[in-house]
Amino acid sequence: MKVLTFGWDFPPHTTGGLGVACQGLTRELAKEGVEVIFVLPKSQSVEGNSRFIFADVEHMVRMREVTSSIAPYLGSQSMLDVYDEYGVRKLYQNSLLEEVHAFAHRASEIAQEETFDLIHAHDWTSYLAGVAAKVASGKPLILHVHATAFDQAAGENVDPSVFKIEKEAFNIADRIITVSDFTRRLIIDKYKVDALKVHVVHNGVDTHEPMHHEQTLQEFHQQGKKIVLYHGRITIQKGVDYFIRAAQKVIEHDPNVVFVISGKGDMTGQIMQQVGALGLSQHVLFAGALWYQERDQMYQSVDLVVMPSVSEPFGLVPLEAIQHGTPSLISKQSGVAEVVSHVLKVDFWDVDEMANKILAALRYPVMHDQLVREGKREVSRISWNVAATKVVNIYKRLIELIT
Amino acid sequence: MLTVCPYFHVHQPYRIKKYRVFDIGKDNQYFNDSSETDLNNRKIVEKVADKSYRPMNAVLLDLLEKHPEFRFALSFSGTVLDQFEAYAPDVLESFQKLVATGRVEILADTYHHSLAFFYSVPEFERQVAQHAKRIHELFGQAPRVFRNTELSYRNDLAKWCEDNGYLGIMAEGWDPILGWRSPNHVYQPVGCDRIKVLLKNYKLSDDVAFRFGNKAWESHPLNAETYADWIHAHHGDGSTINLFMDYETFGEHQWEDTGIFNFIKALPEILLRHPDTAFKTPTETIQSYDSVGEIDVPDILTWADTDRDLTAWVGNDIQKDAIAAIYAVEEDVMATEDTEIIEIWRKLQTSDHYYYMCTKWSDDGDVHAYFSPYESPYDAYVAFMNALSDLQLRIQHILVAKQQLANEEIEEQENKEEVMKTPGVWKRLQQWALHPFKRLSRFIHLRT
Repeated sequence: MKVLTFGWDFPPHTTGGLGVACQGLTRELAKEGVEVIFVLPKSQSVEGNSRFIFADVEHMVRMREVTSSIAPYLGSQSMLDVYDEYGVRKLYQNSLLEEVHAFAHRASEIAQEETFDLIHAHDWTSYLAGVAAKVASGKPLILHVHATAFDQAAGENVDPSVFKIEKEAFNIADRIITVSDFTRRLIIDKYKVDALKVHVVHNGVDTHEPMHHEQTLQEFHQQGKKIVLYHGRITIQKGVDYFIRAAQKVIEHDPNVVFVISGKGDMTGQIMQQVGALGLSQHVLFAGALWYQERDQMYQSVDLVVMPSVSEPFGLVPLEAIQHGTPSLISKQSGVAEVVSHVLKVDFWDVDEMANKILAALRYPVMHDQLVREGKREVSRISWNVAATKVVNIYKRLIELIT
Repeated sequence: MLTVCPYFHVHQPYRIKKYRVFDIGKDNQYFNDSSETDLNNRKIVEKVADKSYRPMNAVLLDLLEKHPEFRFALSFSGTVLDQFEAYAPDVLESFQKLVATGRVEILADTYHHSLAFFYSVPEFERQVAQHAKRIHELFGQAPRVFRNTELSYRNDLAKWCEDNGYLGIMAEGWDPILGWRSPNHVYQPVGCDRIKVLLKNYKLSDDVAFRFGNKAWESHPLNAETYADWIHAHHGDGSTINLFMDYETFGEHQWEDTGIFNFIKALPEILLRHPDTAFKTPTETIQSYDSVGEIDVPDILTWADTDRDLTAWVGNDIQKDAIAAIYAVEEDVMATEDTEIIEIWRKLQTSDHYYYMCTKWSDDGDVHAYFSPYESPYDAYVAFMNALSDLQLRIQHILVAKQQLANEEIEEQENKEEVMKTPGVWKRLQQWALHPFKRLSRFIHLRT
C-alpha cells in the first residue's frame, strides 16, 4: 500500500503538536508495511527540512519538497511570522493563503508523477494539496483534522477563508480522520459533514523516561510555596484568561502559590495587562516560550500543570507533563480528556471549579502522588502504534470500497 | 425439602455535593446538593421510589397476600430510612405494611452502611446499636441475623455476632471458601459454637440481579418457569437456596421494561407448585437445618468483583487515605459529645463514598463498570476530603471551646471560694450576681 501524504511540518522543525504527530504516525505506518511518500512545503525558516529520515524505517519513507513557505497557526491573511535561529522575525511577501494555493498547485504535479493508492492530507494547510492530488489522480482522499478554524478562533471570528477551504475539502474527501471525538462532533456540527465518513483516531505519544534536570524556581519551594504551570501558546483558544481568573481565586484562598506562564502568542500583552489589573503581578511569572531542556526542567519543577483550553482538538501538554512526573488539570473541552482518566478535569469556563481543583491538587499529596503514578502507567499505554493500526484499517476499508 | 430464602438489601447513601476548598469553614452542609445531577439525594430517592420502591412494594404486598407461604427478609441502612422519612414517607409506610404481615424478617446491620468493623469495633458496635433501635422503633422487630456492609465477612465478625447473641450471619457463597462444597447448606463459622452462616448462592442471585436484562446473555429473556427449574434442580443436593440481592434490582438496576416485575410476580407461585418447595426467612432457615460443616474466612470476603474483597472500596491510595482520615478523627469526634457532629462523621463513613473513588477500571479500561454520581474518582475524593476538612475545623472549634469552658469552671470554682472569703455581705452578693453574665458572654464569644 502506497500513500501520498501531505503535511507542512516535521521534526525537528516543530512549533506545535502537528509535526510530532505526523512523525509518530508515519513511523508506525511504515512499520505496518505502508509506503509513505511524505510531501512537505519547503519553508525557509527550517534548515534541512528537505529530507528527513527515520533511522529505523529509512527505506520506507521518501521525502519530497516543494517550494513554499507555510507556517502553522496563522490566519489566512496574516503575513508569515517566522523566527530565525536568533529569534528575529522574518517577513515574507505572500499571504498564507497564497502559499496554500501554491502548495496545491505543486501537489497536482506531484500526483501526476507518482504512483500511489491513497492520498492522506494533514491539517488545513494541506487540504487543498490533497484535493488537487485527488483531482489529478482520481485516487481517494483522506483528510486528517488536527484542528479547525473554530479551535483557532475559540468560537469567535472564524477566518472565512480557512473555513471555506475546510468546508469544501471536507465535502470532497472520501474519509475524514479526527484526532478526537471532540473534533469529530465539532466538524459534524459546524461543517455539516456526513457523520458516517468521519473516524476518530486519537493521537499517540512516544513515552520515554526523560532526563532529570536540576529543579528550577527552587527558591519558591524553599519558601514553602507551590508552583502551578501553564505551558502553551498564549492565544484565545488556549483559555489563558480563564487560568488567570482561577489564579486570582486561588491566591485569595492561599497566597502561597506561584503561577508560571510559559509561552508566547498574540494575547501575551492582554494577559499581562489582566495580571496587572487583578493585582497578581507578585504571583504570576511570565517565563517566555520554553523549549527542550528549559521546558522539561519546568515540567519537573512544578506541582501541577494546567491546560485550560477553550477548544483543544487533542492537547499534548498533560501527556508531556506526566512523563516528567507532574499531574495535570485539563479542560473537558479537549480531545486528550477522552484518553486519560488519571488527571483532574474541569470545564474551561468554570473558574471556581478550576481554582478548587488547583487548590485540591496542592492540598492533598496522596492524590497528587496517585495521579502521577497511575497517570504514568496510563500514558505508557497510549501509543502511535495503536493509532497507526486504526489508520491502516481505514486505508484498507477505503481501498476495498473503491475496487 | 428445599427452601428458598430471599433477602433484599435497601440502601441509599448521603452523597456529598461538589464541596469546594473555599467552602471549608464557611459551609457546613455537605449533603444538600440541589442540582439536577445524581448528587441530589432528594432527587435520587424520589426517582428510585417511583421506579423501584413503590411498584416493588406493591408487588411484594400482593404476593404476601396471595401466598401465605411466601416470606423473605429485608435489610435497611439507617441512611435510607432517614431519607425515606424526609423525602418519601409513603415508601416507609409501605415497608411497614410488608413487615406487619409477620412474614418479613429484618436483618441487623450498621446504621451508616459502614466498614467500621474493620477499622473501629467500638464505633461499629455503636452503629449496630443505633440501627437496632431504629428498626425496633419503625418495625417493632429485634433483628437476630446479621448482615454486614457489602456482605463483608470475616471469622472475627462471625465471632462478634455469636458473642452478641445473634443466631446467624450472611456471607458470600464464594467457591474458594467452599471448595467442593455447596452454598445451599447451612454452615458454622470457624471458632463458633452456636451461630450459623447463610451463604449467598451467587449464581442464581446474580442471574436476576446482574444478568436479567442483558440481551447478550445466553438465557435472556429469563422467564420464571426456567428460573424455577434451575432452583428445583437443587432438590436432593441442597437444603436452602439463599437469594441475596439489592432491593433496587427491581425497577432501578433492571428497569421495568426488562419484565422484572412480571418475573417476580410469577415466581413464588411457580416455585410453590413443586410440593416439596417452600420459603423460609433467614431465622427459620437457621433454625430448620443443622450445620453441615465449618466455614473459614480469615481474610475479608465481600460480594464484589471477581476478587470478592474490599479493593473496590479501599484498593487505591486515595481510598485508603480517605478511610484512614475518617477513623483518625474518631476520638476527637466522640469527645465533642455533639450529636450533629457525630452524625455527620458517621454519614461520611458510608461505604459508597469510598466506592466512588475506585479506579479498578483503570486495569480493564471499563470506566462504566463502577457506577458513580461523580465525573471522576478524583472529584469524589476532593469533595470528600474538603468536607472532612471542614468537619475537622468544627471539631477543633468545639473541643477548644469545651476546653476553655472547663478552664472557666475551674476558675469559677476558685472564684467562688475567693468570694466566700470576701468580707461583707453586699460585696459577696454583687460578685455572685455578676457571674452568670460573665459566663454566658464568654461562652457566646467562644462559639462565634
